[in-house]
Amino acid sequence: MTRWELTKFKVQQSSEGVVTPTLNFEAEIIIPEAYKSFMFIYNGKQLTVNGSEIKPEYLAFEIKLKLESLLSSSLIRELSKHSRKVEYLRGFSLRKISVYAEGTLANLRYVYNDKFLEFGSVLIIPPYKDWSKLCKVPLTIKTNAVSNVKSLYELLVEICRSAVTVYTNVNTVNEILKVLLKEIGV
Amino acid sequence: MISIHCSKKTAQSFFMETKIKEPIYIGGVPTYDLYLEKFPNQEYLYVNSIRAKELPAGTNYQLIEPTLFGYFDEICQLFNDNTEIEIQDETYLPLSIQVNGKYVFKIERESTTFTVDTELGLSEIRDISNKIERVFKFKIIPLLKRVGLYD
Repeated sequence: MTRWELTKFKVQQSSEGVVTPTLNFEAEIIIPEAYKSFMFIYNGKQLTVNGSEIKPEYLAFEIKLKLESLLSSSLIRELSKHSRKVEYLRGFSLRKISVYAEGTLANLRYVYNDKFLEFGSVLIIPPYKDWSKLCKVPLTIKTNAVSNVKSLYELLVEICRSAVTVYTNVNTVNEILKVLLKEIGV
Repeated sequence: MISIHCSKKTAQSFFMETKIKEPIYIGGVPTYDLYLEKFPNQEYLYVNSIRAKELPAGTNYQLIEPTLFGYFDEICQLFNDNTEIEIQDETYLPLSIQVNGKYVFKIERESTTFTVDTELGLSEIRDISNKIERVFKFKIIPLLKRVGLYD
Protein backbone atom coordinates (compact mmCIF):
# COMPACT_ATOMS: atom_id res chain seq x y z
CA MET A 1 0.00 0.00 0.00
CA THR A 2 1.31 3.45 -0.89
CA ARG A 3 2.36 5.50 2.12
CA TRP A 4 0.67 8.88 2.22
CA GLU A 5 0.63 11.79 4.62
CA LEU A 6 -1.96 14.43 5.32
CA THR A 7 -0.38 17.88 5.56
CA LYS A 8 -3.39 20.19 5.39
CA PHE A 9 -7.08 20.01 6.17
CA LYS A 10 -9.09 23.19 6.45
CA VAL A 11 -12.72 24.03 5.89
CA GLN A 12 -14.44 27.33 6.45
CA GLN A 13 -17.71 28.98 5.64
CA SER A 14 -17.71 32.71 5.25
CA SER A 15 -20.83 34.83 5.15
CA GLU A 16 -19.16 38.21 5.36
CA GLY A 17 -20.62 40.64 2.84
CA VAL A 18 -22.43 37.94 0.88
CA VAL A 19 -26.03 36.75 0.78
CA THR A 20 -25.19 33.09 0.39
CA PRO A 21 -22.39 31.79 2.62
CA THR A 22 -19.43 30.36 0.73
CA LEU A 23 -17.85 27.10 1.71
CA ASN A 24 -14.15 26.62 1.10
CA PHE A 25 -12.07 23.57 1.67
CA GLU A 26 -8.41 22.75 1.22
CA ALA A 27 -6.62 19.52 1.88
CA GLU A 28 -3.15 18.42 0.93
CA ILE A 29 -1.96 14.86 0.74
CA ILE A 30 1.61 13.98 -0.08
CA ILE A 31 3.15 10.72 -1.17
CA PRO A 32 6.74 10.98 0.10
CA GLU A 33 8.24 8.09 -1.89
CA ALA A 34 6.95 9.51 -5.19
CA TYR A 35 7.65 13.16 -4.23
CA LYS A 36 4.06 13.89 -5.17
CA SER A 37 1.74 16.39 -3.62
CA PHE A 38 -2.03 16.58 -4.17
CA MET A 39 -3.88 19.73 -3.31
CA PHE A 40 -7.63 19.33 -3.12
CA ILE A 41 -9.76 22.45 -3.24
CA TYR A 42 -13.50 22.83 -2.96
CA ASN A 43 -14.77 26.35 -3.65
CA GLY A 44 -18.45 25.77 -3.04
CA LYS A 45 -19.04 24.59 -6.60
CA GLN A 46 -16.17 22.47 -7.83
CA LEU A 47 -13.87 19.98 -6.24
CA THR A 48 -10.44 20.00 -7.84
CA VAL A 49 -7.18 18.19 -7.38
CA ASN A 50 -4.09 20.11 -8.44
CA GLY A 51 -6.38 22.36 -10.48
CA SER A 52 -8.29 19.62 -12.36
CA GLU A 53 -11.96 19.12 -11.60
CA ILE A 54 -12.88 15.84 -10.00
CA LYS A 55 -15.73 14.05 -11.76
CA PRO A 56 -18.44 12.91 -11.35
CA GLU A 57 -19.98 16.01 -9.76
CA TYR A 58 -21.84 14.10 -7.09
CA LEU A 59 -18.50 13.52 -5.38
CA ALA A 60 -18.24 17.25 -4.77
CA PHE A 61 -21.76 17.18 -3.34
CA GLU A 62 -20.89 14.24 -1.11
CA ILE A 63 -17.82 16.08 0.19
CA LYS A 64 -19.86 19.25 0.69
CA LEU A 65 -22.34 17.44 2.95
CA LYS A 66 -19.52 16.04 5.05
CA LEU A 67 -17.83 19.43 5.31
CA GLU A 68 -21.08 21.01 6.42
CA SER A 69 -21.45 18.41 9.13
CA LEU A 70 -17.99 19.40 10.43
CA LEU A 71 -19.14 23.01 10.59
CA SER A 72 -22.27 22.04 12.52
CA SER A 73 -20.20 20.70 15.40
CA SER A 74 -21.58 21.39 18.88
CA LEU A 75 -18.20 22.91 19.76
CA ILE A 76 -18.71 25.60 17.11
CA ARG A 77 -22.17 26.22 18.56
CA GLU A 78 -20.52 26.50 21.97
CA LEU A 79 -18.09 29.10 20.60
CA SER A 80 -21.01 31.04 19.10
CA LYS A 81 -22.34 31.60 22.64
CA HIS A 82 -19.21 33.62 23.37
CA SER A 83 -19.38 35.82 20.26
CA ARG A 84 -21.56 38.92 20.29
CA LYS A 85 -21.28 39.44 16.55
CA VAL A 86 -23.59 38.13 13.86
CA GLU A 87 -22.06 35.07 12.27
CA TYR A 88 -19.58 35.85 9.52
CA LEU A 89 -17.24 32.86 9.75
CA ARG A 90 -17.15 29.32 10.98
CA GLY A 91 -14.32 26.93 10.47
CA PHE A 92 -12.77 23.60 11.26
CA SER A 93 -9.17 22.68 10.59
CA LEU A 94 -6.40 20.35 11.60
CA ARG A 95 -3.25 22.04 12.83
CA LYS A 96 0.18 20.86 13.87
CA ILE A 97 -0.33 17.64 11.95
CA SER A 98 2.38 15.12 12.87
CA VAL A 99 2.77 11.79 11.18
CA TYR A 100 4.16 8.80 13.04
CA ALA A 101 4.41 5.15 12.11
CA GLU A 102 1.47 4.42 14.42
CA GLY A 103 -0.77 7.14 13.06
CA THR A 104 -1.36 10.84 12.55
CA LEU A 105 -1.86 13.26 15.41
CA ALA A 106 -3.19 16.77 15.05
CA ASN A 107 -4.84 19.64 16.86
CA LEU A 108 -8.50 20.19 16.12
CA ARG A 109 -9.33 23.85 15.65
CA TYR A 110 -12.92 25.10 15.75
CA VAL A 111 -13.66 28.69 14.77
CA TYR A 112 -16.69 30.92 15.09
CA ASN A 113 -16.13 34.52 13.95
CA ASP A 114 -13.04 35.72 15.85
CA LYS A 115 -13.35 33.04 18.54
CA PHE A 116 -11.40 29.82 18.39
CA LEU A 117 -10.92 26.65 20.36
CA GLU A 118 -7.98 24.42 19.54
CA PHE A 119 -6.99 21.24 21.29
CA GLY A 120 -4.69 18.34 20.68
CA SER A 121 -2.85 16.28 20.08
CA VAL A 122 -5.69 14.03 19.02
CA LEU A 123 -5.23 10.81 17.10
CA ILE A 124 -6.77 11.48 13.70
CA ILE A 125 -5.61 8.55 11.59
CA PRO A 126 -6.70 5.98 12.63
CA PRO A 127 -9.30 7.51 14.97
CA TYR A 128 -9.57 6.43 18.62
CA LYS A 129 -11.70 3.32 18.87
CA ASP A 130 -13.05 4.53 22.19
CA TRP A 131 -14.67 7.99 21.92
CA SER A 132 -14.27 8.67 25.64
CA LYS A 133 -10.48 8.45 25.35
CA LEU A 134 -10.37 12.17 24.52
CA CYS A 135 -11.00 12.96 28.19
CA LYS A 136 -8.33 10.59 29.43
CA VAL A 137 -5.29 11.64 27.40
CA PRO A 138 -2.86 14.57 27.81
CA LEU A 139 -4.04 17.62 25.88
CA THR A 140 -3.10 21.19 25.14
CA ILE A 141 -6.08 23.49 24.82
CA LYS A 142 -6.00 27.03 23.49
CA THR A 143 -8.92 29.40 23.29
CA ASN A 144 -9.78 33.08 23.14
CA ALA A 145 -13.48 32.43 23.59
CA VAL A 146 -13.64 32.92 27.35
CA SER A 147 -12.64 35.80 29.56
CA ASN A 148 -12.13 34.14 32.93
CA VAL A 149 -11.01 30.93 34.60
CA LYS A 150 -14.54 29.88 35.59
CA SER A 151 -15.72 30.02 31.96
CA LEU A 152 -12.54 28.27 30.86
CA TYR A 153 -13.34 25.35 33.16
CA GLU A 154 -16.88 25.23 31.77
CA LEU A 155 -15.39 25.01 28.28
CA LEU A 156 -13.08 22.16 29.37
CA VAL A 157 -16.14 20.29 30.64
CA GLU A 158 -17.86 21.04 27.31
CA ILE A 159 -14.95 19.48 25.38
CA CYS A 160 -15.43 16.29 27.40
CA ARG A 161 -19.20 16.44 26.98
CA SER A 162 -18.61 16.77 23.24
CA ALA A 163 -16.28 13.76 23.07
CA VAL A 164 -18.77 11.88 20.89
CA THR A 165 -19.03 14.87 18.54
CA VAL A 166 -15.26 15.09 18.30
CA TYR A 167 -15.13 11.38 17.59
CA THR A 168 -17.75 11.86 14.85
CA ASN A 169 -15.80 14.82 13.42
CA VAL A 170 -12.60 12.76 13.26
CA ASN A 171 -14.47 9.95 11.57
CA THR A 172 -15.90 12.44 9.05
CA VAL A 173 -12.36 13.65 8.32
CA ASN A 174 -11.39 10.04 7.64
CA GLU A 175 -14.42 9.51 5.38
CA ILE A 176 -13.49 12.62 3.36
CA LEU A 177 -9.88 11.44 3.11
CA LYS A 178 -11.08 8.06 1.90
CA VAL A 179 -12.91 9.72 -1.01
CA LEU A 180 -9.93 11.93 -1.84
CA LEU A 181 -7.42 9.06 -1.68
CA LYS A 182 -9.59 6.99 -4.00
CA GLU A 183 -9.47 9.85 -6.51
CA ILE A 184 -5.68 9.79 -6.64
CA GLY A 185 -5.57 6.02 -6.74
CA VAL A 186 -4.16 5.41 -3.26
CA MET B 1 -3.82 33.22 45.20
CA ILE B 2 -3.86 30.06 47.27
CA SER B 3 -1.08 27.51 47.26
CA ILE B 4 -0.96 24.14 48.93
CA HIS B 5 1.95 21.75 49.24
CA CYS B 6 0.86 18.16 49.72
CA SER B 7 3.03 15.26 50.73
CA LYS B 8 1.97 11.79 51.85
CA LYS B 9 -1.65 12.83 51.28
CA THR B 10 -1.51 15.60 53.90
CA ALA B 11 -1.10 19.37 53.59
CA GLN B 12 2.49 20.11 54.59
CA SER B 13 2.05 23.82 54.07
CA PHE B 14 -0.35 26.30 52.56
CA PHE B 15 -0.64 29.99 51.80
CA MET B 16 -3.94 31.77 51.37
CA GLU B 17 -4.80 35.43 50.97
CA THR B 18 -8.05 36.75 52.43
CA LYS B 19 -9.75 40.10 52.78
CA ILE B 20 -11.86 41.09 55.76
CA LYS B 21 -14.20 43.99 56.47
CA GLU B 22 -13.73 43.99 60.27
CA PRO B 23 -9.99 44.47 60.79
CA ILE B 24 -7.76 42.34 62.93
CA TYR B 25 -5.27 44.29 65.00
CA ILE B 26 -1.81 43.01 64.23
CA GLY B 27 0.86 44.81 66.27
CA GLY B 28 -1.83 47.37 67.05
CA VAL B 29 -2.41 48.11 63.35
CA PRO B 30 -5.89 47.47 61.92
CA THR B 31 -5.30 44.99 59.11
CA TYR B 32 -7.76 44.13 56.35
CA ASP B 33 -5.54 42.13 53.97
CA LEU B 34 -4.54 38.86 55.52
CA TYR B 35 -2.46 35.90 54.50
CA LEU B 36 -2.95 32.66 56.28
CA GLU B 37 -0.15 30.13 56.38
CA LYS B 38 0.79 26.75 57.63
CA PHE B 39 4.46 25.78 57.54
CA PRO B 40 5.90 22.28 57.03
CA ASN B 41 6.09 20.11 60.13
CA GLN B 42 4.10 22.62 62.19
CA GLU B 43 0.49 22.26 63.22
CA TYR B 44 -0.08 25.97 63.79
CA LEU B 45 -1.90 28.61 61.81
CA TYR B 46 -0.07 31.83 61.07
CA VAL B 47 -1.79 35.09 60.15
CA ASN B 48 0.46 37.61 58.43
CA SER B 49 3.48 35.67 59.71
CA ILE B 50 2.33 35.77 63.35
CA ARG B 51 1.15 32.68 65.13
CA ALA B 52 -2.63 32.97 65.16
CA LYS B 53 -3.07 32.18 68.84
CA GLU B 54 -0.98 35.23 69.75
CA LEU B 55 -3.40 37.61 68.05
CA PRO B 56 -6.50 39.15 69.65
CA ALA B 57 -9.24 36.46 69.42
CA GLY B 58 -6.34 34.02 69.04
CA THR B 59 -8.11 31.36 71.07
CA ASN B 60 -10.82 31.18 68.40
CA TYR B 61 -8.21 30.78 65.68
CA GLN B 62 -6.41 28.11 67.66
CA LEU B 63 -9.65 26.18 68.11
CA ILE B 64 -10.24 25.88 64.36
CA GLU B 65 -6.66 24.84 63.52
CA PRO B 66 -7.19 21.04 63.54
CA THR B 67 -10.43 21.28 61.54
CA LEU B 68 -8.92 23.74 59.07
CA PHE B 69 -5.83 21.61 58.51
CA GLY B 70 -8.09 18.56 58.12
CA TYR B 71 -9.92 20.32 55.28
CA PHE B 72 -6.65 21.06 53.50
CA ASP B 73 -5.69 17.40 54.05
CA GLU B 74 -8.92 16.43 52.27
CA ILE B 75 -7.63 18.21 49.17
CA CYS B 76 -4.27 16.47 49.50
CA GLN B 77 -6.00 13.09 49.65
CA LEU B 78 -6.40 13.48 45.89
CA PHE B 79 -2.65 13.22 45.31
CA ASN B 80 -0.27 10.38 46.06
CA ASP B 81 3.00 12.19 45.45
CA ASN B 82 4.68 15.42 46.41
CA THR B 83 2.26 17.94 44.94
CA GLU B 84 2.09 21.73 44.67
CA ILE B 85 -1.29 23.19 43.80
CA GLU B 86 -1.99 26.80 42.92
CA ILE B 87 -5.61 27.84 43.21
CA GLN B 88 -7.35 31.00 42.08
CA ASP B 89 -8.80 32.68 45.15
CA GLU B 90 -11.92 34.02 43.40
CA THR B 91 -13.13 30.70 42.03
CA TYR B 92 -11.21 28.11 44.10
CA LEU B 93 -10.27 26.41 40.84
CA PRO B 94 -6.75 25.06 40.26
CA LEU B 95 -4.45 27.12 38.06
CA SER B 96 -1.59 24.66 38.20
CA ILE B 97 -0.64 21.31 39.66
CA GLN B 98 2.95 20.13 39.96
CA VAL B 99 3.73 16.57 40.90
CA ASN B 100 7.30 15.89 42.03
CA GLY B 101 8.32 19.24 40.57
CA LYS B 102 6.80 18.63 37.14
CA TYR B 103 3.70 20.43 35.91
CA VAL B 104 0.88 18.00 35.15
CA PHE B 105 -1.65 20.78 34.73
CA LYS B 106 -1.18 24.45 33.99
CA ILE B 107 -3.37 27.34 32.87
CA GLU B 108 -1.64 30.33 31.33
CA ARG B 109 -3.12 33.51 29.96
CA GLU B 110 -1.52 35.71 27.33
CA SER B 111 -3.58 38.69 26.27
CA THR B 112 -7.02 37.24 25.41
CA THR B 113 -5.85 33.67 24.92
CA PHE B 114 -5.89 30.96 27.56
CA THR B 115 -3.62 27.93 27.19
CA VAL B 116 -4.21 24.79 29.21
CA ASP B 117 -1.54 22.11 29.27
CA THR B 118 -2.54 18.93 30.95
CA GLU B 119 -0.89 15.57 31.37
CA LEU B 120 -3.97 14.51 33.29
CA GLY B 121 -7.14 13.71 31.39
CA LEU B 122 -9.90 16.31 31.35
CA SER B 123 -12.13 13.93 33.33
CA GLU B 124 -9.56 13.79 36.09
CA ILE B 125 -9.12 17.57 36.03
CA ARG B 126 -12.89 17.96 36.34
CA ASP B 127 -12.99 15.61 39.36
CA ILE B 128 -10.02 17.33 41.05
CA SER B 129 -11.37 20.84 40.48
CA ASN B 130 -14.86 19.88 41.67
CA LYS B 131 -13.42 18.45 44.87
CA ILE B 132 -11.18 21.47 45.57
CA GLU B 133 -13.99 23.93 44.80
CA ARG B 134 -16.37 22.07 47.12
CA VAL B 135 -13.88 21.88 50.00
CA PHE B 136 -13.22 25.62 49.81
CA LYS B 137 -16.82 26.74 49.26
CA PHE B 138 -18.51 24.52 51.78
CA LYS B 139 -15.84 23.87 54.38
CA ILE B 140 -12.79 26.14 54.49
CA ILE B 141 -14.48 29.47 53.75
CA PRO B 142 -17.44 28.99 56.14
CA LEU B 143 -14.99 27.97 58.88
CA LEU B 144 -12.80 31.03 58.31
CA LYS B 145 -15.88 33.26 58.20
CA ARG B 146 -16.99 31.91 61.56
CA VAL B 147 -13.85 33.27 63.26
CA GLY B 148 -13.61 36.48 61.22
CA LEU B 149 -10.72 35.48 59.00
CA TYR B 150 -12.76 35.79 55.79
CA ASP B 151 -15.51 38.08 54.51
